[in-house]
Amino acid sequence: MNIERIHILLEKYWNCETSVSEEQELQEFYNFGDVPDDLQQLVPMFSYKQDQHAIALSDDFEKKLETSIRKADRKKQYITIKIFEPFLRIAASIILIAGIGVSVYFFARQNNQVFAETYNDPGAALEQATSALEKLSMALQTTEEASLKSLEQLDNLDLDWSEIDSLSSEIPLYNPDSNNNIESETL
Amino acid sequence: MSHDKFHRIILPLKDKLFRLAWSIVRDSAEAEDIVQDVFVKLWTKNDEWDGIENLEAYCFRATKNLAFDRVESLSIRKTENIASESENGVFVDDITPLLKLVETERNTLIYKCIDQLSENQKMVFQLREIEGMSYKEIADTMEISEDLVKVSLFRARNKMRELLSGKQ
Repeated sequence: MNIERIHILLEKYWNCETSVSEEQELQEFYNFGDVPDDLQQLVPMFSYKQDQHAIALSDDFEKKLETSIRKADRKKQYITIKIFEPFLRIAASIILIAGIGVSVYFFARQNNQVFAETYNDPGAALEQATSALEKLSMALQTTEEASLKSLEQLDNLDLDWSEIDSLSSEIPLYNPDSNNNIESETL
Repeated sequence: MSHDKFHRIILPLKDKLFRLAWSIVRDSAEAEDIVQDVFVKLWTKNDEWDGIENLEAYCFRATKNLAFDRVESLSIRKTENIASESENGVFVDDITPLLKLVETERNTLIYKCIDQLSENQKMVFQLREIEGMSYKEIADTMEISEDLVKVSLFRARNKMRELLSGKQ
């Protein structure tokens, strides 16, 4: 290669006036050419450039990348759940409170039907309650009188109680000992 | 599905992004990790893609930013490591092949120079010198003016020139 041209190109190179193709020309000169002594000092730079150009990623890079992308995708899903976690909690609390509220409301409504207020006038209510209690009291009194009357009648019968007692002794009573004896005999 | 866009536009950039990340962190595993992180982030934010005007430029910027963050947070100083390694090579370990030693020394010199560049200068240098992008493309990618691209590149190249000619 024409050394004159190389000198011109280098001068242009230092002034940043070279085109990409001219710089490529210089690079090729340093890669393959017989570099004269006065241009030797630039060899490190051009050989560095040449070395750099050869640097490339290992073949298994894409495989590794795929693995980490899959991992990142999973992490992303997890992060989304994590972001919504407080909202999920709030939502759960709202549903719980609403559920309790609704059930209390229906329960109260049902109970109201059972213990519903039927009287508007307290005087009438008291009257009704008093008459009901009086009826109950009267009923209790009649039964009490009836039972007293029957007891009286029993007394008036003039029964011989000792005879009745002796009747009960004639009924055979369960005796565990006698039972055992029978069993041992048969054995 | 916009994930088709991912395979059409974003995934083919992987090596370019890897080289950009590498030029900043100078560690293959770390650079690969950065590119992977950028891709995964983009994948999960696929609903925002329509709002991004230039997806390619966005990828470059995201990679650059993440790489510089990593350098800061992990305080990766690969140049120091390499420099000390080569020192050991020179003074202690004479088993190291001479060629390799020369190569490492060369790179150490370049790393030293690149380390002196600002973030913008580094990225412009990378996109122009390694990826061979036009000024217009670089300006679009970095969301800066073409003039600023030229100025950054001019400074980066001149710093390189000074260092290589032994003026610094």
